[in-house]
Amino acid sequence: MTEFGHQHRFHCIMQDEPAAMERLCQVVRVRGFRLEALAMGRDAGRLTLAFTATGQRSPAMLQSQLEKLISVESVTCAPPESARQTA
Amino acid sequence: MNAAQHILETFRTHGIDTVFGYPGGCIMPLYDALVESDVRHVLCRHEQACALAAGGYARASGQTGVCIATSGPGATNLVTGVADAHRDSIPLIVITGQVASGMIGTDAFQETDVLGMALGVVKHSYLVTNPDDIPDVMAEAFELAQSGRPGPVWIDVPKDVLLNPVTTPTASGDAPSGDAEQTPTDVSGILSRLRQAERPLLYSGGGIRLAGAETAFRRFASASGLPGVVTLHGTGNPGRGCPDNLGMLGMHGSRAANEAVEACDLLLVAGARLDDRATGHLDGFAPNAGVIHLDTDRAEHHKLRTADLASDAPLAPTLDALADALEARPLNIEHWRQHCRDRAKTAGFRAATNHEPLAPITGPAFVRQLSETLPPEATVACDVGQHQMWVAQYYDFDHPRRHLTSGGLGTMGFGLPAAMGAQFARPDQPVVNVTGDGSFMMNAQELATIRRYRLPVKIIVMDNQCLGMVRQQQELFYESRESQIDLDDNPDFAALARAFDIPALHIRRADQMRRGIEALLAFDGPMLLHVAIDRQENVWPIVRPGAANRDMMDAHNHHADKETLA
Ligand SMILES: Cc1ncc(C[n+]2csc(CCOP(=O)(O)OP(=O)(O)O)c2C)c(N)n1
Ligand SMILES: [Mg+2]
Repeated sequence: MTEFGHQHRFHCIMQDEPAAMERLCQVVRVRGFRLEALAMGRDAGRLTLAFTATGQRSPAMLQSQLEKLISVESVTCAPPESARQTA
Repeated sequence: MNAAQHILETFRTHGIDTVFGYPGGCIMPLYDALVESDVRHVLCRHEQACALAAGGYARASGQTGVCIATSGPGATNLVTGVADAHRDSIPLIVITGQVASGMIGTDAFQETDVLGMALGVVKHSYLVTNPDDIPDVMAEAFELAQSGRPGPVWIDVPKDVLLNPVTTPTASGDAPSGDAEQTPTDVSGILSRLRQAERPLLYSGGGIRLAGAETAFRRFASASGLPGVVTLHGTGNPGRGCPDNLGMLGMHGSRAANEAVEACDLLLVAGARLDDRATGHLDGFAPNAGVIHLDTDRAEHHKLRTADLASDAPLAPTLDALADALEARPLNIEHWRQHCRDRAKTAGFRAATNHEPLAPITGPAFVRQLSETLPPEATVACDVGQHQMWVAQYYDFDHPRRHLTSGGLGTMGFGLPAAMGAQFARPDQPVVNVTGDGSFMMNAQELATIRRYRLPVKIIVMDNQCLGMVRQQQELFYESRESQIDLDDNPDFAALARAFDIPALHIRRADQMRRGIEALLAFDGPMLLHVAIDRQENVWPIVRPGAANRDMMDAHNHHADKETLA
């Protein structure tokens, strides 16, 4: 797990449509990150997601790729929680 | 009006006169509605060709292309063509029938999870569960396909939904725009960097034509006097005969282009995403330059190379504003400009003209002849391989929309259906498919479509009896260990064409090139020109995949290169 690098926290609001979660998970994976934890709530046609993902690439890059998803209304990225060292 | 009829109606209201499709069980309600519709439906002979033809139509016209297929195998066959459009940012609407709502998830006959399958190859997608959603979905889909960075939008509609009435016949009108709010561009930062630079270079790509910024681009290029390199999709940006154009850069780029990128101290990237085939190994890419990146897709900024200044503002007004300022006060880069012009002449793409009439035909000489013989308004749709690179290198395109080529995906089989789509979009202009003996066989069934609609598409098969591009890399990078590239048992391509009632010519000697091309052009209808070329011919220069562009190999130095590697 450590070779996956830094852990980043994201907060994301998406339109509630059938493939919303799959789109998000696919972009996270394809752009080189691994989901570590995920919480989702559904309310009034929106999905609210909080997740942490680890990866060696820039979280700003993942954020801008997520923003390109049509179903995504907003994404924010918190500063890195910990910079894990390789054991 | 049922949902199927409504979908056809939306095509009409969006100015779509031609769609490409193939029927089957779950899409039958739409085909039934087609009987009364005035939408022209082109029946291709494979769904992959439907998607690629719709892409060709969109590439040639700038309009949105539409393709239609049934569920299951119809939808899976579309995927390559949709992925092709996705990678090249081509606006497409894809409609597929799906098994009836109640059957989804039961492994019904011809059920595939189209929504899931297509996620990675679309800009957006829908599974419509309520016929009343159709008006909004269609309006939104057309908007999304074209807005911002264009791309394919896939709409999967269960059979029962297609049949059910739409009770909200017009779109609610609040389709979100994919375009981010654009603030007017402040070009002062770009200008001051341009004025400070001693060796500024313009790097342009397919984004120029996608943004409709062709005119502004040429105005800027001429006002700035910047030497320019182009990507595969940028060929044609500078226009025919532009002395400041150093040609394509990258893996098969010109020595002049790659050297200029190496030497420049400022790289102005306009409408390009710094693809690895263009940049080569990033460590060696423009090592002495600051980068200004103009691209509408913010996710491309700093993705592969950190830019000193990046802007997602619309390209045309930005380039126009820069041109205004530079016309008022020009740059002082005469020395660098002249140096690049000289290099373009001596180290650009110059086809060795064959003075020996009985000599065999070489790829570069043939493409140069084609470029000189075809009118500037002709569209050339390529396939993938060596012939594609020769076209990019030696054909002097007058406009970026005249060159249709599968850049991002590199889809063999692209050329023939793309040419069909382009011919529907430009019925009165010549459309030529330059293909290879390998690529041609990937969608050769479309000869039937060409015949049926009497499309005057001209097909040029550059036949080296092998998968030339792969053979070349095996020769250069795998110690000449040829593996599964031999096509010396190709069919008789002329006879194949004639079986579809398409006449064919055959040439093999240098002195037959011009007359062969002229005969092709003069013929009123589709025709195939079979061009025999040498199996061993290579595309030069070439940069080893993964290497830096400075390590170009060419016909004279590649043996030396192999020794150094050993
Ligand atoms: C669908 C697909 N399969 C495989 C490839 C890999 N590939 C790239 S070029 C090439 C050879 C193309 O042969 P041909 O069409 O004869 O062109 P040539 O290089 O000989 O000019 C192959 C197999 C591809 N680009 N697309
Ligand atoms: Mg070949």
